[in-house]
Amino acid sequence: MTQTLPRFSTGIPGLDTVFGGGFVEGASYIVQGQPGAGKTILGNQIAFATAAAGKKVLYVTLLAETHDRLFQSLSTLSFFEKGRLGSNIVYVSVFQTLTREGLGAVVDLLRKETKRQNASLIVFDGLLNARDRAETDLDVKTFVAEVQSQAAFVGCTVLFLTSAGIHDESPEHTMVDGVLELHDELVGVRTVRRLRARKSRGSAALGGYHQYEIGNEGISVFPRIEAAFHVPSATDNPDPKPLRSGIQGFDEITGGGLPQGSITLLIGPSGCGKTSFGLNFLSASSREEPGLHFGFYESPERLLLKANALGLDLRGNVAREEVDILWQPLTENLIDKMAYRLLDAVSARGVKRLFIDSLGGFERAAVHPPRLVEFFAALTNELRAMGVTAVGTWELRDLFASGVAAPGPEISSLLDNLIMMRQVEIRSEYKRVLSVLKIRDQSFQAAPQEVYIDGHGLAIRGQFEQATGISTGLAKPLEA
Amino acid sequence: MKIVVAEDEFLIADLLVVCLEEAGYEVHDAPHGADALTLVRSLEPDLVITDFMMPLMTGLELAEAMKADSALQGIPIILVSGAQGGIARSRADLFDLVFDKPYAMDRLLTAVADLGRERGQP
Repeated sequence: MTQTLPRFSTGIPGLDTVFGGGFVEGASYIVQGQPGAGKTILGNQIAFATAAAGKKVLYVTLLAETHDRLFQSLSTLSFFEKGRLGSNIVYVSVFQTLTREGLGAVVDLLRKETKRQNASLIVFDGLLNARDRAETDLDVKTFVAEVQSQAAFVGCTVLFLTSAGIHDESPEHTMVDGVLELHDELVGVRTVRRLRARKSRGSAALGGYHQYEIGNEGISVFPRIEAAFHVPSATDNPDPKPLRSGIQGFDEITGGGLPQGSITLLIGPSGCGKTSFGLNFLSASSREEPGLHFGFYESPERLLLKANALGLDLRGNVAREEVDILWQPLTENLIDKMAYRLLDAVSARGVKRLFIDSLGGFERAAVHPPRLVEFFAALTNELRAMGVTAVGTWELRDLFASGVAAPGPEISSLLDNLIMMRQVEIRSEYKRVLSVLKIRDQSFQAAPQEVYIDGHGLAIRGQFEQATGISTGLAKPLEA
Repeated sequence: MKIVVAEDEFLIADLLVVCLEEAGYEVHDAPHGADALTLVRSLEPDLVITDFMMPLMTGLELAEAMKADSALQGIPIILVSGAQGGIARSRADLFDLVFDKPYAMDRLLTAVADLGRERGQP
């Protein structure tokens, strides 16, 4: 029979998910990374979370820094509670014991101190410094083995924090139950922080790199969503009834609107009416069918002004809490953090209508673009399972072009519906056109439709006139 | 004047020992309370300066042990502490003076000199 090991939460958002539900009680872990990667913050954050759960923590340092300075830098982080120092969390330095009496004496001191404090967690900060002294009596491997075995004996978990680049063949690595690597690297001009559970004995960890950030709350980890949601968190129960689009004329050509719980990609160049389509879609939201605008471009206030100019009372929708607007400026973003922000906002309000303007905002944030297919697969599967009808836009580069650069074929195949919009030049006039290219499991009119934006939102009032080259944007009327 | 310093953090211990020695005192230091108590018992110093959070025996426990021992209870104790100054101040029976880290070394040296004069020890 399989058993699950008792675990405790690290208190670091996302990290428990990476380690399959938290750290194993009584196990030992090595946390390694270069200076500045956040090891000490991570160690202290776990220490304070453990203390907040009513347990005792022993924080042992071999640092060339005073505890005072450590507390000073930690005091800027929200998890740090000075009142716990000396009661739930005890900071002791064993540097002098190490230099005077060697590693063996440190092992002895830790055993006595763990028992004396009745500690559930030991954080040992500075294993690298122990290595410097290792030639004295014990080697670091034996030190790690002895500390962890005596801690495990009393059910105490140990974290060894080290700057040392411990390699696969490193003996310490084989001794412990888990190894967490923190990386802080440059990708192009930006800094990217990524962590990896390199070893996780007794639990299925989410492998590979996961981005993390260090903010006022300390460390937050964003497990890659294709790993965290390799299957959706809920069962997908598709509702065959279409959802009305909120766009005049659209439901008539698509068999009643957009299929519920489907993902629509709306492609077109700038200025063709994609955002207006989305605002119309959202203005059909209600308390029963809440809407969410997740955009990278306009601030909420600008969107409300834009809707107002279109003749849509989106401000009223927002005031009645039917629509929420989340703005994610297209600056330096973490792709998975955004996905969690989106999914959290959807689940918090039971959102049924979602407009993402645009999916390209996620693409821009991808440090490793080849994973976008899996990323969008996980995101869209999760949205479908939550019963969300989503419309996402995709910007076409050229205003007028014969080629249409839609997202790659793998991404397009993850989508249920495909709609193209563009401006078309015909008879020295610019007109807008909308073509339904694909609707999942519903019959639709494939002929290009003329789009009107005239003070009552965006509307379709019939087929575009007979012409060739409509999809290139440069149309020629058919000769009579 | 003979002083025992109990401090686990070597940077602070080093600085304290050097400054006190430069001021002309005889200084013995211990990396935690338990070692300090052994030193106090063998040396019977004129003053103990202790940190609060230390392995094996805290500054509070060291002071309690000294006050419980009739041979040691007369030795004045100064506590220097990062976060537990409040706890220490509520135990006026244990500590003659409490300094919060970071503190000005001159203030500590003046306090040590004053205590020495009070006890007739230069």
